[in-house]
Amino acid sequence: MRLNRFSVFNIGKTKSPYHYFDNTLNHKIFDKVARKCYLPTNKLLLDLIDQYDGQFKVSFSLTGTFVEYCKKHMPEVIDSFQNLVDTGSVSLIEETYFHSLASLYDDLDEFKDQVMMHNHLMKDLFNYSPKVFRNTEAIYDNRIAQTVADMGYKGIITEGAKKILDWRSSNYVYKSVNTDLSVLLRHYSLSDDIGFRFSAQGWPGFPLTAEKYAQWIAQDQGDIINLFMDYETFGEHQWVETGIFDFLRHLPEKILSYDHLDFVTVNQAIDRFEPKDTIDVPWAISWADEDRDVSTWLGNEMQHACFKELQDLGPVLKKKKNPQLVDAWRKLQTSDHLYYISTKGFEDGNVHQYFSHYDNPYDGFINYMNILQDFKQSVSDEIMLKN
Amino acid sequence: MKVAMIGWEYPPFKAGGLGTHCYGLTRGLADKKVHLDFYMPKTKKSASADKPFLHIKEVGEATVFPYDRPTDKELEGDFFNSVYRYNDLVVSKVKGNYDVIHCHDWLTMKAGIQLKEKLNVPLVLSIHSTEYDRSGWLSPNQWFIDIEKEGMEKADRLIAVSNFTKRVVVEQYGIDPNKIDVVHNAVYPLGSGKKQDIVLFLGRLTIQKGPEFFLDAAKKVLDYGLKTKFVLAGSGDMLPRLINKAVDLGISKDVIFTGRLTEEEVKHIYRIANVYVMPSVSEPFGITALEAISAGTPTIVSKTAGAAEAITNCLQVDFWDVDEMANKIISLLNYNVLHKTISKEGKREIDLFTWDRVADRTLDVYREVM
Repeated sequence: MRLNRFSVFNIGKTKSPYHYFDNTLNHKIFDKVARKCYLPTNKLLLDLIDQYDGQFKVSFSLTGTFVEYCKKHMPEVIDSFQNLVDTGSVSLIEETYFHSLASLYDDLDEFKDQVMMHNHLMKDLFNYSPKVFRNTEAIYDNRIAQTVADMGYKGIITEGAKKILDWRSSNYVYKSVNTDLSVLLRHYSLSDDIGFRFSAQGWPGFPLTAEKYAQWIAQDQGDIINLFMDYETFGEHQWVETGIFDFLRHLPEKILSYDHLDFVTVNQAIDRFEPKDTIDVPWAISWADEDRDVSTWLGNEMQHACFKELQDLGPVLKKKKNPQLVDAWRKLQTSDHLYYISTKGFEDGNVHQYFSHYDNPYDGFINYMNILQDFKQSVSDEIMLKN
Repeated sequence: MKVAMIGWEYPPFKAGGLGTHCYGLTRGLADKKVHLDFYMPKTKKSASADKPFLHIKEVGEATVFPYDRPTDKELEGDFFNSVYRYNDLVVSKVKGNYDVIHCHDWLTMKAGIQLKEKLNVPLVLSIHSTEYDRSGWLSPNQWFIDIEKEGMEKADRLIAVSNFTKRVVVEQYGIDPNKIDVVHNAVYPLGSGKKQDIVLFLGRLTIQKGPEFFLDAAKKVLDYGLKTKFVLAGSGDMLPRLINKAVDLGISKDVIFTGRLTEEEVKHIYRIANVYVMPSVSEPFGITALEAISAGTPTIVSKTAGAAEAITNCLQVDFWDVDEMANKIISLLNYNVLHKTISKEGKREIDLFTWDRVADRTLDVYREVM
């Protein structure tokens, strides 16, 4: 999600928080990605589910922000997701309505609110109640696991990071150390083979065919291989010219040609497999960068300063019950804004720069902080008005 | 290896980045056991070398300087002749068995070409600025351009201080890009001092350096209500105009013109400045940005500066965009955490900009032509 250019001279002069967001650009990007990825991939997945009589299965995690864009700009995308859910071969995954870091706040009320908002959205749109949760950027720690379990979920998805597994394999279902919650761990190397490396010509696996990939999977040990990736992998990160859609089209056939392989949704996965062991994660992990922690969003003091501004606004805002301001506050919580401020090392920094529209993290900070200052002023003006 | 380097300025006497560059480069090369004779004009305070492989050789009096314009009053009429005279002097004085002749910028290019032919030795030419930069791209003088073009064509290899400058050399002078290597500048880190409420401009007060944009931004920052002084350190032909401008803008009590500063004063002001701004209209590199950053001073550089392509931990603006310049100055002053982070990361990055690296890259170029 992109913000408008906002200088210190705009602080205190904005009429509506709506102006923070570069709605034209956001719409344009959404429109482009919808045409290149969401619509064609949904259609292909639906065909594959039909073709293999429901043996091919997928799970989706859709934010409320994404759904709002669909509803507003291209409702047919929602229709196509509804068709997929109707096949019965698709699980929907719960997450926070906004792509936020609310799970890292000192107080988890806002996190729970955002999860419930998402829950209602899934109910309204798809008449569906998710059983499995995955947090923004697969962020996970014991506290989050506890909260999610307390909210009634049966499973959670996070990264199969080495630092939590050590010698153990991500190809089993685990259990959270402090609560009765099944944990599905992303197989990052096989997932990233598609997500990152598919079209990388210097990679030994290139070119990746469905047959080769199915063979790799068949040779791997364990109960389950969890493949999770950005949906934009199909048609956006990997363009149609790379052959990504052909790959996907042939994958079910090649996988199902092995007797010991089949597909499951996340719901089926936690029903079918008993946890083999427990995982203990006192400090938050995620699926991002080499570090697999939250330093991508909270790695430097500038990010912490913005994060704190946001967090501190919560209690003030919630007392005031101004829906428009609360909505703006939540959109400002989108983790992207902090991601653009990352000053992390060369390798990762390059990835950040690739996705960023700012010249450098400092510009990202200035813009975001200016907006937060303006927003803070709007909130306190609102309080004065009410008093 | 033995190199004859034809230069113009050398500390303690210097007016710009050219002198800083020659100082760092010659010492860096001497450390690598390159025998280096550095030829330069006689100055009031003689320069001396502090390295066994490095010798400073004074050629004789010169009455022009690299940043002079033919329109400057005292030189009137005699400008072109003094240039020719000094070049002839250099040609007659440079003697010995050299492997490479290395010249910097337009002033000694003619001598470089003649020496190449006379001694039958390859010529390397460093481009620190072109006539287009010095004129701020407003009516560049054809006489300089012709000298520069001839030098660039006849040199065996060129070193440009940035890709920005390489592009100018290719596009404006029609030089084959394959003949040009880019070597970014370096700095001897200054170390930081206790910061004061100073936003600093440091450089010649000429059209090229964009001091009037600095004043426009100052006006906006002061109107915003921030309490800080704006210091313009340096001298130049725009000084009277800038003083008038500060008065017209009503900000003269918060603007300080220091005139030309000594080496020590320059170091001091870098260390105590809170923000450094380099709003150059056209800047091949801008060593001052490296110096300021090495002193822990967050730096805002013009996007049309070579430094902008080389340094990650600085802020960048279009030199004409004074609103954005003010936005960034205010942000640096108001958001402590931004100031702190950029200062810290900048200092860390600047440690990579060593003269040792510049000497290595330059040696590569020498080896290519030998």
